[in-house]
Amino acid sequence: MTRYLARRALTALVSVWLASVVVFGAVLAVPGDPAALILGMNAAPEALAAMRTRLGLDVPAPARYLRWSAGVVTGDLGESLQYQRPVGRLIRDRLGVSLPLALGAALLATLLAVPAGIFAALRRGTLWDPLLVLATQVGAAIPSFWLALLLILLFAVQLGWLPSGGFPGWDVSLGGSARALLLPVLALGLGQAAVMARLTRAAMLDVLSQDFVRTARAKGLAPFRVVGKHALRNALVTLITVLGLSLTNVFIGSIVVEQVFALPGLGRLALTAIGNRDYPLLQGVILLYAGTIVLLSFLVDLSYGWLDPRIRYA
Amino acid sequence: MTRPLWLITLLAGLLLAGHALAQDPPPVRGGTVTVAISADPPGWDPTLSTSQEIARVTYGNVYEGLVRFDRNGEIVPALAAGWQVSTDGLAWTFTLREGVRFHDGSPLTAEDVLFKFDRARDPDSGHVNQGYYAAVADVRAPDAGTIVFELTQPSRSLLYNLARPDAIIYPAALAETQRSQPVGTGPFRFARYVEGSEVRLERFDDYWNPELPYLDAATFRIIGDANARIAALQAGDIDLIGGAVPPEQVRVLQANPALKVASGTATAEITVAMNNSRPPFDDLRVRQAITHAIDKDAIVQGAFFGLGTVIGTHMSPSEAYYLDLTDTYPYDPERARALLAEAGYAGGLSFDFELPEPYAFERRTGEIIAQQLREVGITVNLSVVEWGTWIQRIFLAADYDMTIIGHSEPRDIDIYARPTYYYRYDNPRVAELLAEAESAPTAEAETAAYQAIARIIAEDAVNVWVFSPANTAAARADLYGFWTDQPTPAIDLTRVYRAR
Repeated sequence: MTRYLARRALTALVSVWLASVVVFGAVLAVPGDPAALILGMNAAPEALAAMRTRLGLDVPAPARYLRWSAGVVTGDLGESLQYQRPVGRLIRDRLGVSLPLALGAALLATLLAVPAGIFAALRRGTLWDPLLVLATQVGAAIPSFWLALLLILLFAVQLGWLPSGGFPGWDVSLGGSARALLLPVLALGLGQAAVMARLTRAAMLDVLSQDFVRTARAKGLAPFRVVGKHALRNALVTLITVLGLSLTNVFIGSIVVEQVFALPGLGRLALTAIGNRDYPLLQGVILLYAGTIVLLSFLVDLSYGWLDPRIRYA
Repeated sequence: MTRPLWLITLLAGLLLAGHALAQDPPPVRGGTVTVAISADPPGWDPTLSTSQEIARVTYGNVYEGLVRFDRNGEIVPALAAGWQVSTDGLAWTFTLREGVRFHDGSPLTAEDVLFKFDRARDPDSGHVNQGYYAAVADVRAPDAGTIVFELTQPSRSLLYNLARPDAIIYPAALAETQRSQPVGTGPFRFARYVEGSEVRLERFDDYWNPELPYLDAATFRIIGDANARIAALQAGDIDLIGGAVPPEQVRVLQANPALKVASGTATAEITVAMNNSRPPFDDLRVRQAITHAIDKDAIVQGAFFGLGTVIGTHMSPSEAYYLDLTDTYPYDPERARALLAEAGYAGGLSFDFELPEPYAFERRTGEIIAQQLREVGITVNLSVVEWGTWIQRIFLAADYDMTIIGHSEPRDIDIYARPTYYYRYDNPRVAELLAEAESAPTAEAETAAYQAIARIIAEDAVNVWVFSPANTAAARADLYGFWTDQPTPAIDLTRVYRAR
């Protein structure tokens, strides 16, 4: 087990390192000049050259990568070209929006999807099942930015219950900030719930058709215990995988939702960084995304053994 | 052909404007507004970046220069109470306004002004647009209240350039921190900036004009999505969208009694740029044919609900020397086909047409133009290009066939005098005329020289100038005093108030 853990952790680290190389290379491969974007369309060539020197872009790329990765190892992600603040601090500020948004959406999706999926699986053959399947199909097909606009039109423009966007900041207003996240969590969580419900239903149907469930039923166990103790436990491995994937999805999906709701989150930070060719900032944000995805899949892998003793690590 | 239409539009606009002015209630002191802007700027110092987002927030609100543009584009006194020009045109003398204070409490001095223009002329300072001061030999302060610009040759554009967003003055001692903490002399001081979220300005109580501003505070909220901006206005979360309201949303907003929409002029020319050094665009007949093939009226009426003025050269109707040259090569598909045949492309012609991703007006216009070109036998390969790539490959390296962009800088016809500019148009006559305009003895002679340039580039069909989009602003119905025209990119809140 310890050897497995060590090997798995090493793979994760190598993945993050590879991601950092790809990120650095990809950012360089995209044409664009931060100096030109800062100085505008009428900048003179001399002014552009001076700005490139100021931004440290006159240093060759490999040297820049070494300098950057040495910084990353010591926890220093460099300074944003646009904001002229440490990238680490910018990311930390934005996590205050993106983390609650992603976790809230994943929680909402789980709370809706798992009961709905189990219910649909158990009601197979009744009208409930196709109804729920239809609902999840529609839900999964609606793009989150469109749902976000619909939610704004209903709850902000028509009813006036919730703000249409923006974020006051946790330090300014705790309640106001929570309210500002309600619609984004809904917009992000509902689509995810639809996808998760479909997968839950499929996993449950699969388990319910297996012999040990028939045996459990045959020996007269209450339906509640059959589902709760035997079936659900066995479906959990699939469900955790789905949950891990959906956390990744909401993390990435929040980029679009943050744009529509004008939330100062990590996704918008990434978009701004791409638009301005803010290389250090972009590298920092993508590294964080990559690290999160690797960490989540690592945790999901670990949970298998804990959930299902039949799975052994060698 | 198009003249009566825009004349009628203009007259109707004037009538509406006059009507609105007559109805404006008296200004009220106090209150706050929330205004939408679309992106975080690269810092807040307008002398270090030409980002229009900086100007929108700071011009006239936080920062002022010696002179400034008013809402009609007139150059009016700001930190200079007045100015004189010597008879030979080589010395401009500005009298500093007395009793002006910066937001940090320090007084405005001649040293601050000298420091600024030394920086503006120092190539290592990072100050943008240094070309604006090419004719300036020296700037000096004979006494504490006077600034003199000494020129090597008369410069008609000096005063105009001194009114631009980057010509502002800040305390010499605080030059390094303006990027993050602007300190100016304007009616509002810069109070708080939350990146990606909002900027807050608060009333500056020591403003040199004690009657202004009317508002206590203003918040600029950064909302990147155009639809989200509209929704925020409808929901009452913001009070003003200063411009670029999508034309298709105008009717919806007009129908809402809580809101109002105002449409005025702006300085942009939506320009189909052609690489004049590259075949087939090095053949005048091909450029003429392309111009003849494009039905500009159909674009403005059909895709922009008439919210724009069709143009025929690199000039928007907001310019003082505006000239309508739309009839130089009017829409005439037959003529276009004939010219193409003459140039040897009777069998058709094909090239790349690249649209800039961030600009919806340009993308929309480009798609229609692609269709119109097809009707005369020109096949374009349409593609959308991300902005950083556009700047790098198309704008700086001129590696392209055809593209489309809005040139929003006012008074920028000088770009046709630069053979290295991305149009790759080389005509020494333009540079000569430009020099003539600069040193013209009278305003009339200056206008004549500029209009001569406008004619030359129109006849050479360097580009296709499609239209100048109207500046469309939308606001809560009780908000008054905001700019409807955009002689320079700005959301000037100095005289904005909420009626009771």
